[in-house]
Amino acid sequence: MAIITSAGIIVKLVLLLLLSFSVVSWAIILFKFFQVQRAKSESERFMDFFWKSKRFDAIASQVDRFANSPLTVLFNEGYGELKKVVESDGKSEGAGFSTDLGGIENVSRALRRATNSEITRLEKYLTFLATTGSTSPFIGLFGTVWGIMTAFEGIGKTGSASLAVVAPGIAEALIATAIGLVAAIPAVMAYNHFQHKIRVLINEMDSFTTEFLNIVQRNIAGK
Amino acid sequence: MSSQVSRIDAGMGVSFTASAVIHLAVFLLLLWSGRLFPAQMAIQETYYVDVISLPVANPQLGAPTPKVGETDSVPLPEPVSSSPMTVKAPLKATVKSANPNTTESESAFAERMAKLERNSEARHEEAVLEKLQNKVKAGGLKSGMPGASGTEAGSRYADYIKSRLEDALKLTSSYTTKKPEVAVRLTITAEGKLSRVKVERSSGDATFELAVRRAIDLASEKFTAPPNRAVFENGFIFKPKGISSSTSTSR
Repeated sequence: MAIITSAGIIVKLVLLLLLSFSVVSWAIILFKFFQVQRAKSESERFMDFFWKSKRFDAIASQVDRFANSPLTVLFNEGYGELKKVVESDGKSEGAGFSTDLGGIENVSRALRRATNSEITRLEKYLTFLATTGSTSPFIGLFGTVWGIMTAFEGIGKTGSASLAVVAPGIAEALIATAIGLVAAIPAVMAYNHFQHKIRVLINEMDSFTTEFLNIVQRNIAGK
Repeated sequence: MSSQVSRIDAGMGVSFTASAVIHLAVFLLLLWSGRLFPAQMAIQETYYVDVISLPVANPQLGAPTPKVGETDSVPLPEPVSSSPMTVKAPLKATVKSANPNTTESESAFAERMAKLERNSEARHEEAVLEKLQNKVKAGGLKSGMPGASGTEAGSRYADYIKSRLEDALKLTSSYTTKKPEVAVRLTITAEGKLSRVKVERSSGDATFELAVRRAIDLASEKFTAPPNRAVFENGFIFKPKGISSSTSTSR
């Protein structure tokens, strides 16, 4: 550990910055891992429950059980909008659901909005992983270049260029690049992994939107 | 409407704590493994071969013999004269060398020296090899100087000290002025301990002076005892290019 304590102030700052990057990106990795994992498993359970139930209001009463699934949010939004449309229709005309499909459009818009907000929620913090992955090696490289610069300065001052003088400076400079890579590699891997998982969840949300609208339209047409 | 749904996201706080704990654990693990398996920075043991006072069979033909009496050192043993391999010849030589440690291994050494004499072409290489083998046999650094016999530090003790100091100075050398020069007088006790370091003269380069002091400290860890168990005192002039021993004993 003497290699770190003996390094120059700039190299130390770089190391500190990289360490904080690493801590934050690992915090995001852990957070996202559990978030995505819960979203996936609860979505599966919600879809099972959704196809087994016959009535929307029955589902709406049980929705808290699947709070971490994005599909639950979609259902909530769609069902809320549907209720509003039905109520306003009932007030204005006093007889049933309007068949001009204006209500369907409303529900569809509400679902699209909910999908967008869920995507935003799932992708939150992921930018930091991408940033860490792409900039950490460069920050580390900066520390290394700076360290080697000061090492050469020292060599010039002492007038001695023996390996015993040159080697420690370069070794403590290179550790900055090493730490940069240590911070970057997990961040890049996690970023790609979460991108893939979130794409799967977005696809699920899209197909759920389609299913929901189909069911609503089928029921209206049946009336 | 999503406000109806209550999420159980652990939140970033918990993740942050977990991440910090993981980093701390990894750091401690590295620290621990570093203590468990320290980096191997073994210092290569150096063997000293003094080229000037190599034991040559025929000094007239070979390397110049060092001037004896330049410093307070014991005289070089006379090289064995070109005589047949008798037991007497080496004995004679040891008597001349005035070395009390006349041993069996020494007569064997002299015998080999007589053999070497015939092989005058390869004598330098042979002598170096011979010396190294003897050194290893006698237990590494405890062995004598080139040209000496037995396990005493040899006749060229000043050269031996100078060579050690030069090696140490190579590691520590640093200076800020063009031609720094420091004259130092060293006193080494009969046990081979450095007892006194006196800077007699300095060109005023503090950096070089420091380097010289560090070199002396570094070298003094491995001094062997002076020959004849006598207190050794000598002046050395340190320059970045090397060290010369200042012969004058009083200043």
